[in-house]
Amino acid sequence: MSHWFLISTLLAFLSLDVAAVGQFMVCRPIVVGPLVGWFLGHPDIGLEMGALIELIWIGDLPVGAHLPMDLMMLSGVSVAFACELLGTKYPNEAVMTYALGMTIPLAALSTEVDIFISKFNVRWVHLAQRMALSGHFRTFAWINWFVLLELLIKGFVVAAVSLTLVHFTSGLFFLFTTILNGKVIEGLYYAHWLLLALGCSAVIDLLVEKKTAVYLILSIVTIMGLAIFYHMQGVYLVSIALCVGFALALFYMGKGEKNG
Amino acid sequence: MADEPIVSLNRKDMIFAFLRSFFLQAAWNFERYLSYGVAYVLLPVLKKVYASQEDRSQALSRHLEYFNTHPYMASFVLGAILRMEEEKQQLPKPKQKQKEEEISALKVGMMGPIAAMGDNLFWATIRPYCGLLAVTLVLSSAFQVKGQYWVIPLLFLIVYNVAHVGIRLTGFIQGYRKGDQVVLTLRKYGFQEAIRGLKLASIVLLGVLIVFVNLSELEKEMGLFVLKLTFFTAIVGLFTFALHRKISPSQLFYAVVLFALMLAFWPDLSAPPQMEHFAPSIPAAVVVPAEMKPIKGKS
Repeated sequence: MSHWFLISTLLAFLSLDVAAVGQFMVCRPIVVGPLVGWFLGHPDIGLEMGALIELIWIGDLPVGAHLPMDLMMLSGVSVAFACELLGTKYPNEAVMTYALGMTIPLAALSTEVDIFISKFNVRWVHLAQRMALSGHFRTFAWINWFVLLELLIKGFVVAAVSLTLVHFTSGLFFLFTTILNGKVIEGLYYAHWLLLALGCSAVIDLLVEKKTAVYLILSIVTIMGLAIFYHMQGVYLVSIALCVGFALALFYMGKGEKNG
Repeated sequence: MADEPIVSLNRKDMIFAFLRSFFLQAAWNFERYLSYGVAYVLLPVLKKVYASQEDRSQALSRHLEYFNTHPYMASFVLGAILRMEEEKQQLPKPKQKQKEEEISALKVGMMGPIAAMGDNLFWATIRPYCGLLAVTLVLSSAFQVKGQYWVIPLLFLIVYNVAHVGIRLTGFIQGYRKGDQVVLTLRKYGFQEAIRGLKLASIVLLGVLIVFVNLSELEKEMGLFVLKLTFFTAIVGLFTFALHRKISPSQLFYAVVLFALMLAFWPDLSAPPQMEHFAPSIPAAVVVPAEMKPIKGKS
């Protein structure tokens, strides 16, 4: 039980990075996943789940007044839950999909709490206005720390409640898999590959336009060719893609300077 | 000149204000958005610049008005405000009111354009690029062979924060140097071109990612790989269409899981029919009673 407490504390501190402090992106799934996984002895699972969550929700952006899904809570809680289920005989892909599916509603709930806090913060600002006009500058500055404490408590409570809830659904997982004779596991296993397709779609939806679709096709064909005919390994292919990408970026930036 | 002594900001004030700018969104709310954050950043500077308590209160209250922009790009405005508040204090009293209006106009005028630029540059370009790079490296199994799982998240944080802190710092310094003219300098950084170039770089990386997702079959059989890639492309096309129609990723997640479960429970049509299903229809005469079976070794 002590590790649940420590994970909740860790997630509470990481939740400050989502919007309140710095936004250094320590709260992103690709960082939170391996961190929680490492804490529970499965950094590989954490990294894989973090990558999947990062990919699927890559297009959920905090633009204007929109608050996106709490991905920090989603990745932290789902990785912790998946690590709890990993000792079983079932494949990792199925366990990861199940853990993620169970945690999404809780992450949505966390977002709702964030919305409530953002509405509640209006009161803090009104108090700050009164303090500014009455010359209580020290109290004015302290409001910042009160709000951070409020967010810290929210992060801890939401993480602790979520971890407790998903812990109780682990029995459900074993019940399903026993009654339905492995078919559920098979389905969850297929779903993992389809979720990667969903992630790729999210990136396409965010970045690719009609004009730039040709670059994607060219990239796929070239990388496929290099992998098939030259038997190139993953790291080399990523390096080539990075170099080509940077060349394109520099070309466009140079073009902009010329026009400017 | 004003009656009060002229106070100018030193490097320590600037560093302190810059560090406080990392708390800009702490009290983010649906009424005034970043207003408290701006006032919190400016508080030590205003306390130094304005000698009288009344002036400080007025200035701080002025900065609690509605302000909403991108938190990183806000540093351009914050730097400019620091400069203008410093200049305002050095003006004669009658001209100070005009300067106040100029400060408000700068905030109102700049928050929209830099928010759009920041959202597009950071949320829609740099962060997806860094995320995509990290995910591609995870799928390539680049740093997992020797258990170095921390390398990929660390790389993600370094690449992202070089751009993040770099632009924040540049914005703050340039804002302070140029004052209300900072809006004219924004164009020279070539953000639009950087967005375009980085989006293309991300698309190239996406190509690698798509090949990696299907690569396991490539090692086994070429035909199977092409078949899998074709199916994958069709599925990706369908999902992209759904996302384009504003169906959320969470809804699609459950749709995918449901579809996969249906596939798992779907009866295998190519398999031969199971005899036990047809057992009642087999005529009783066909079933040979045990006592009629020939006994081995006896004719």
